Amino acid sequence: MLYALMGLGLSLITGILNIPNFAHGALFAVGAYFLASTLHVVGNFWLALVLAPVGVAVLGLAIEYAGIRPLYRAGHDYQLLFTFGLSLILSEGIIVVWGPIGFSQLPPPILRGGLDLGFIFYPKYRLFVMVMAGLLVLATWLFLEKTRYGAIMRAGIEDKEMVSLLGIDIHRLFTAAFALGAYLAGIAGALTAPIRGLSPGMGVDMLGIAFVVVALGGLGNLLGAIAAGLLIGVAQSIVAFYWTEASVAVIFAVMAAVLLVRPQGLFGIR
Amino acid sequence: MSRAWLAVFAAVILLPLAVRHAIASEIWIFAIFGLGLNLLLGYTGLLSFGQSTFFGSAGYVSGYLLKHYGINVFAALGIGVLVGAVSAALVGYLCVQRSGLYFIMLTFALNQMFYFIAYQWTTVTGGEDGMPGIGRPVLLGVDFRQPLAYYIFVALLFLVSLWVMKRIVESPLGKILQAIRENEVRAQAVGYDGARLKLLAFVIGGAFSGLAGVLYAMLFGIVPLEAIGFVFSGNVVFATLIGGSGSLYGPIVGSFVFIWLSESVSVVWARWPLLLGVAFVIVVIFFRGGCVEAWARFWSWRERRRMATRLAS
Repeated sequence: MLYALMGLGLSLITGILNIPNFAHGALFAVGAYFLASTLHVVGNFWLALVLAPVGVAVLGLAIEYAGIRPLYRAGHDYQLLFTFGLSLILSEGIIVVWGPIGFSQLPPPILRGGLDLGFIFYPKYRLFVMVMAGLLVLATWLFLEKTRYGAIMRAGIEDKEMVSLLGIDIHRLFTAAFALGAYLAGIAGALTAPIRGLSPGMGVDMLGIAFVVVALGGLGNLLGAIAAGLLIGVAQSIVAFYWTEASVAVIFAVMAAVLLVRPQGLFGIR
Repeated sequence: MSRAWLAVFAAVILLPLAVRHAIASEIWIFAIFGLGLNLLLGYTGLLSFGQSTFFGSAGYVSGYLLKHYGINVFAALGIGVLVGAVSAALVGYLCVQRSGLYFIMLTFALNQMFYFIAYQWTTVTGGEDGMPGIGRPVLLGVDFRQPLAYYIFVALLFLVSLWVMKRIVESPLGKILQAIRENEVRAQAVGYDGARLKLLAFVIGGAFSGLAGVLYAMLFGIVPLEAIGFVFSGNVVFATLIGGSGSLYGPIVGSFVFIWLSESVSVVWARWPLLLGVAFVIVVIFFRGGCVEAWARFWSWRERRRMATRLAS
């Protein structure tokens, strides 16, 4: 589910803005570190979980406004270089601020320990993350499908020129989409922190996965991102059970296999 | 013999006098790497963000054979080129079926796959520690452990690579690739198989990356894990773009600037990738078009000024 969340955010950014966002993984990591720090300051996990992703969204807002906006006409190569440079800055910035050594983050007291589900004993926090991620995906879906702003965003994916001809400020739409994508990356990072701990390299690992989700699910395709996220998550857990070392490589192998059979992705119509 | 070639020859001769031999060798190796990418980026219009896949794979395979079987230098280079081409064929087959953003994402994702294989396969690759202990065997009585001898060897191979690349981009194939870059649909309408030709460009680019990868492994005696990582792929894109991707000589200028930049900032601060990131951002915002274009703009500006002063007098 976390993969779906990451893929969804990236899919929004890539689909609407039409740029390859290589800073998405770094935003994920920043989300996790923001959570740790706000938790340290305010002392309340729930408040931190609300605040940290908002911080990432604000960061995304600033990045879009200052950096990406001048580059819409520049071609993918320069956009890529920009977001790649940004990802270097963010992940090295994390090392400068929080140090090169990772640390772990405990979940809040209520969610520690496990829950007996009858057939399996499952950690409470992981269950919480699954439910949370599911709700967030649902909320994003409702936002995109049922609200006026969501409709504008979907229209932006389909045809930007037409949208701007209809009198909608396309730049504001882009900024909003980037901020929303950054928010989703940030909250995915914040939720992950208590499961996997924090390390400066966490963003890059996630970035590859997010790109796989988007490549399989299709740009701006919500359902595709969810399906691809689930597919990869399940494939990874099954392989991790039998052959731990291969559990990351299998994500990409699944992608390669799907693309061999269906070059246009899971739901693509080319 | 054109002016550009004279400049390249002069640089090859003068460079070892100015900087350490290892850095001079690294510049030409990176230039070979950049030449391979530029065939894709500059001439075919394909932005590959996974060139280190072929660079690293070739380095690992040839490095392993050099280390454990002590194979001949030319065999190592040949195998490296082959590994680069074959891995590029595998990756390229999947990637050329998509275009635009998907293409970029796929090259990156498959790069990550190779990275994680190298990361986990510690018995062969050494994982995070890299694969050390790669020697430079003696060839025809020349001891390549001498930095200058190895520099000359690298520089000669670079000149050969440049000549080969020049022949490729000026051949009919090169022209067709440029036609695909300009308008793929039209190139297909004229009867060229776009996907197959793009794959061919990918394989040639991979072969150049492979050559560079083996030379790199022999230069430092180690294949670090970073050599197959995505930052390395990004660096070569950066070097090619700052040099100017529209020109054959762009990547050479770019690799100069990039190696010089990274060598000089890396001694200043351990967190130098941060500065590198800042440099990326500055270049993208202010110097789009790269050095070669900036130079051309400077020249035309000077010409205009000269004309203006002449008109005024």
